[in-house]
Amino acid sequence: MSERYDIAIIGSGPAGLSAALNAKIRNKKFIIFGSKDFSTKLVKAHKINNYLGFYGKSGAEIKDEFASHLEAMDISITQEKVNNVYAMGDYFALMINEKMYEATSIILATGVNFGKPFKGEEEFLGNGVGYCATCDAPLYKNKIVTIIAYDKKEEDEVNFIATVASKVYYIPMYKEEVQVDSSVEIIKDIPVEIVGDEKVTKLILKNTQLITDGIFILRESVSPGQLVPGLIMDGNHVGVNRNMKTNLDGCFAAGDIVGTPYQYIKSAGEGNIAALSAVAYVDQQKRK
Amino acid sequence: MIKVVNDKNFNEEIADSDNIVVVDFWAPWCGPCKMLTPVIEELSNEMGKNVTFAKINVDESPIVASKYKISSIPTVMVFSKDTVKETMVGFRPKADLKKIIEKHL
Repeated sequence: MSERYDIAIIGSGPAGLSAALNAKIRNKKFIIFGSKDFSTKLVKAHKINNYLGFYGKSGAEIKDEFASHLEAMDISITQEKVNNVYAMGDYFALMINEKMYEATSIILATGVNFGKPFKGEEEFLGNGVGYCATCDAPLYKNKIVTIIAYDKKEEDEVNFIATVASKVYYIPMYKEEVQVDSSVEIIKDIPVEIVGDEKVTKLILKNTQLITDGIFILRESVSPGQLVPGLIMDGNHVGVNRNMKTNLDGCFAAGDIVGTPYQYIKSAGEGNIAALSAVAYVDQQKRK
Repeated sequence: MIKVVNDKNFNEEIADSDNIVVVDFWAPWCGPCKMLTPVIEELSNEMGKNVTFAKINVDESPIVASKYKISSIPTVMVFSKDTVKETMVGFRPKADLKKIIEKHL
């Protein structure tokens, strides 16, 4: 069994980074998942004048400040994408493809870039609509599967499903050149609605319709309720109290994911609170 | 205790049971199913007196899997006789499952 972390932080924007600093200061064994650029939103920001202490800097400059801060505190980011988090009772299991990490508490700081679901997507979730192609692929043996993907990385998944399904339609939502198995039919069109009766029967696109048994939607990040099954949402955001605690014991959230305003310093402040709440939770668990 | 059910003994174990039966549809290649297994085991230890717990490997039981239109696993169904009272798709934390099962007691 892998070592168990005290705290796993998912997301490397201001909320996640600020949580990591505080976890470090409190001497907790933690891991932070994210990207080397921390946050695409941060890098893209032209000028930021409402972050205390950083007048007139661009997002990219603030990113560099964050990077040197982390380096000074010897914090490194694990560049892996967490697919699912399972609340196992007294710990959380974080799944990364075939790999698993364990943590006593988690902090969700993934921002709000999960996109709007397609019409019919939520209605047919589990009845033909899925987010993990490798998990459910064998159920579609000799059936027709449609995959909508937002990243070129997903092409491997597409090729894998092509070995199982009788027919695969692939709808790439990115601009790069598509390189998939020749048996896969590439459809360059915009999905509009998923329809069916008890189960999915077809996908309606702007210019065409596809008869299909299953639809997998592979987005950059899934909604928090999908990421952590059992998590209670408050509209489009994760429901938290003043301590940044969610409905699941040991699960905290911070930043844009918990609601507006979407601001850097608000996220950093919430990351601070979430980290201290997680520290208190971990200490309490250890005393048990 | 968790009963192992398949296409052959499905009716006798589930449809003919006097208890409500919680059925975990799983397969060995499914990661979330592995995470759900210990949760179902804990529930069966806690609630096993009044509720029967069963698991069905969908690879080995295609008839039952297609009868109940299993298109994503894990799926947990609550049966009373041969009627499906509840369908839960995907992993759920223990407390959530317990609350849903208790509704049918």
